[in-house]
Amino acid sequence: MTDESNSPMTDTDSTTTGPLLPEDITTDSPFTLPGFFDALAEGRLVAARCTECDTHLLPPRPACYGCGSRAVTVSEQPRTGEVRSYTSVNRPPSAFEHLAPITIAVVELDSSARLTGRVDAPLADVTIGDRVELQVRDPEEAGIDPDFDLSYEEEWPVHVFELV
Amino acid sequence: MSTAHLIAVGSSPLGKTDLPGRDLFSKALAEAFEELPDPADVVDGLYVGAQSERYENQIMQGTLMAEWAGLRNVPAERVEACAAAGALALKNAVRDVRAGVHDAVLACGVEKMTAGGTEGATNALGAAFERALEQRSGITAPATYALLARRYLHETDATERDLARIAVKNHRNAAANPRAMFQEAVDVETVMDAPDVAPPLKLYDCAPVTDGAAAVVVANDEVAADLRSRPDAVRVAGVGSAANNLAVAERDLTYVEGANVAATTAYEDAGMDAADVDVAEVHDAFTVCEALLAEAAEFAPKGHGIETVEAPEDRSAGWSDVQINTSGGLKARGHPIGATGILQAVEAYEQLTGRADDRQVADADTALLINEGGVADAHTVAHVLTTQ
Repeated sequence: MTDESNSPMTDTDSTTTGPLLPEDITTDSPFTLPGFFDALAEGRLVAARCTECDTHLLPPRPACYGCGSRAVTVSEQPRTGEVRSYTSVNRPPSAFEHLAPITIAVVELDSSARLTGRVDAPLADVTIGDRVELQVRDPEEAGIDPDFDLSYEEEWPVHVFELV
Repeated sequence: MSTAHLIAVGSSPLGKTDLPGRDLFSKALAEAFEELPDPADVVDGLYVGAQSERYENQIMQGTLMAEWAGLRNVPAERVEACAAAGALALKNAVRDVRAGVHDAVLACGVEKMTAGGTEGATNALGAAFERALEQRSGITAPATYALLARRYLHETDATERDLARIAVKNHRNAAANPRAMFQEAVDVETVMDAPDVAPPLKLYDCAPVTDGAAAVVVANDEVAADLRSRPDAVRVAGVGSAANNLAVAERDLTYVEGANVAATTAYEDAGMDAADVDVAEVHDAFTVCEALLAEAAEFAPKGHGIETVEAPEDRSAGWSDVQINTSGGLKARGHPIGATGILQAVEAYEQLTGRADDRQVADADTALLINEGGVADAHTVAHVLTTQ
């Protein structure tokens, strides 16, 4: 798990204003997937934020698709937001078959960052504009077939939204 | 810069077939070269669009297709951008001919999607979506597009019934297309009553899992003049492509900006604009895509793409008189992923050379093709073809 004192990139007040350096790209940094999921496992959802145009990037990455700047910093995200769109996966990939139908939504967090996730509610209970809260679950609890995970994904948590 | 022409086209039967991918390619090749010398005497290179090695456990498709065409020791490359792979193969062939790298190039696509059943296709296509957050949430192709469709219906006046009418139109077009997988019309009630796949998308809103291959020959002026009489050559006047977001969550849910960039780049390259286009093959993997792409291609005012089903005189002001997906589109002609972009070129070639029989659009001289991969315009390739 990430030790924050050794990982300045997890500082939500980071003053980073330029490109990441090669030595910044470590498994402790939320700019990598292992670092991002370590933070999530500790209950912190972290996005990158572009210091030039304020676009949020989830998961974090080294450059902004909104304006092309590499002046990105990290920003801990609120766990609440609202449903932008939603559907149900009636025929999911094999590893999720036993969970079907899966309610899925695109959620815009209160920061304006967006991510897709499962909604722990039947499709009929969900509509655009609904308030949701992000929950973090370990993969077994989330019910995904362990065969789905690549070796380096096995410890990564899974996020799920609950209606609030 | 040389001019690139399409001088011959071919396709395999489309649907669930007993033929593996290489044999489907053989079918397409045989048709494309029916009136031409051996491929080795015509083309100097090959690009093949193929989405996934999971279907047949086979990569190295460039080498394989080259061998099956009798080509040896020439550049032969597989290209991949999920369902945009076919147009990517065409784009590369056109680029090589324009640059004078080759006099003629074979652009083709192949996919044997039914090899692993619906489950195999779902799993193979799932690889096109963002892994860390979206695949791990159980997302599928229909679900990503359902997220777009739901939001489109929320923001515009369009209804599920309007989406159904796109499926009806494309089935009607396919009924007049001997190459099509589904050569039968369906009515709106059938579409509306079909089972949900990912609401609001129902079975007939979704393109089918299809086996198929297609091939086109791209040639410079000299080869085109040598091998074909002039009316049989179609000029590739414009090319554009663009990559947008991979994750559905981060993209604009109701406007395919990357597709607009690809289309307008192709128009500029051709010295034309949307109003010059008579026929268009756009990537209707799901019904909502046709509405979104009519807007992105600047045929329709924003929010009015759904009127693609109407006769030109019945559309809102600002709509062009283009006829969209005369082949039946991905929806009803069929969608063998890596071959789809080439199949779009096949339809344009037939329309522009007056070979489209019962689905012929009168006086069609310019076509736009839009082929996409990933969710919506995660990757878009656009071509303008013309006889002008």
